[in-house]
Amino acid sequence: MIGSPLASAARTTSWKVVIPFYIYAAVSFLVGTVLLLFSHNAFTGHYFQPHILAVTHTMALGWGTMIILGASHQLFPVLIETDLHSEKMAYASFLLAGTGIPLLIFSFYRFNMGTVAQLGGSLVVTAVLCYLANIFISISRSKRENVHAVFVFTAALWLLITVSLGLALMINLTGQHHLFPRDSLHYLTLHAHLGIVGWFLLLVLGVGSRLIPMFLISKYTNPRVLWIIYYLVNAALLGYALLFLYLPKAGLNFIPVVLVLVALLLFAWFCRKAYQARIRKKVDHQMKVSLVSVGLLVLPTLVLLALIGILTATGQERTEVTLLYGFTIFFGWITAIILGMTFKTLPFIVWNKVYRPRAYIGKMPSPKDLYSDKVFVTMAFAYLAGFIGFAAGILAVSSWLLQLGSALLLVAAVLYNWSIAKMVTQKKFNT
Amino acid sequence: MNFRTNNEEKTEKAFEGLRFVDDPEVGLNVVDLGLIYGLEFEDEPKRVTCMLTFTTEFCPMGESIQANVTESLKMSFPGEEIVVNITFDPPWSWDMISEAGREFLGG
Repeated sequence: MIGSPLASAARTTSWKVVIPFYIYAAVSFLVGTVLLLFSHNAFTGHYFQPHILAVTHTMALGWGTMIILGASHQLFPVLIETDLHSEKMAYASFLLAGTGIPLLIFSFYRFNMGTVAQLGGSLVVTAVLCYLANIFISISRSKRENVHAVFVFTAALWLLITVSLGLALMINLTGQHHLFPRDSLHYLTLHAHLGIVGWFLLLVLGVGSRLIPMFLISKYTNPRVLWIIYYLVNAALLGYALLFLYLPKAGLNFIPVVLVLVALLLFAWFCRKAYQARIRKKVDHQMKVSLVSVGLLVLPTLVLLALIGILTATGQERTEVTLLYGFTIFFGWITAIILGMTFKTLPFIVWNKVYRPRAYIGKMPSPKDLYSDKVFVTMAFAYLAGFIGFAAGILAVSSWLLQLGSALLLVAAVLYNWSIAKMVTQKKFNT
Repeated sequence: MNFRTNNEEKTEKAFEGLRFVDDPEVGLNVVDLGLIYGLEFEDEPKRVTCMLTFTTEFCPMGESIQANVTESLKMSFPGEEIVVNITFDPPWSWDMISEAGREFLGG
């Protein structure tokens, strides 16, 4: 008979580990948009403000990081072609980060970097250490060279550096210990870019390059291009950090930005090739949103180029452009990719949870039957309108546009939470 | 297609049921997706052995698909022993999708 040697079905990460991350992230998205609505006027001033710091960290840690941690635990077997080392360590990451993040956000909102903030920061650092150790042990057991695994591991390493630097900056800000030669505000851009490029961008590129062809049902694969992208992004990040610390001239920052832009264009080319080689011709709404988010990657890069251009030409920083840059990252690119990918991952996790123990009873419902596509489309439109409205409000320094944009983003967050609640409370299929 | 069997008639009967078992990720049934590599039917003892693969070695839906293939075969051949073995030799590829499957996916 064909087919030997025999194998066994891979052990998937338990839904009990993964789903709490999704719920936490959904609630954080809601909290982030509520904070945005109540703090919209802060976006007409300088970016170093308590409410903006609170919104940014809610989105970066509570929303972006938590859902990525959850999804990556689930996708590990697919990504690195081996089982996750320890579910207990995954739980520990969740509990540590889940406790630390609200402490941090509360402290930012009150602008008190004392004991509570430092405890929150320490818990987050420990959570990341736990995550890093878990994936390091998992990857070291994998027998094959895997570019996606290297992306994920390096991204986690940058995350550890980012959160450790963040904690050090908080301690530095209190004045109790002078850990840096200059004030904490000076290092904020370094902290932000290590997180944005090192953690989010590397991870999204590594995971996206595996999942996008998979969900498009495409034959296309090109590890060589992915390695080039990997080296470009890391070279850009290291170059940026070195320039920041030892040769701080605004004009030189064009070099790392151009390297990242080349990497993004290569990734867009990779996605295009995967799209062209797809077997399933019909592309669903969730994949469309995910592909739009790839396009949205270019937007903050262009804003950054404009920012550096203005700074080089005039020697002055335009705060509304800086705010727009941050907004296009956290509420643009990161949020768009999560909105799309949630509905390509969570329904499968829930489907496995609900239907695996059930006996076969004829035609099974598919994972996409577990949520409403109409609600998804409404959410996507509310999100896009809110994003454009708020971005326009930042540039025009218009309070009513900011209010309108944040209200629409809140509507998107409510619909998102509704869909998540519907999925995770699924008991059996109802037609 | 690399599919092998020792009984065409019983294979058709098995396929009737297996065409209701989808790979939920692709939305296509396991027969047209080419996940069934072989079916072997024995009389003494009465046993059906199925060689099944997945689109990827670490398919998150693997256990569910295996369970549903087993249940489907149990319903098609009541009272017989059902054995579903997993293999990745040869690894599955998109070329294993049947013509009907390609048509369904719009290819």
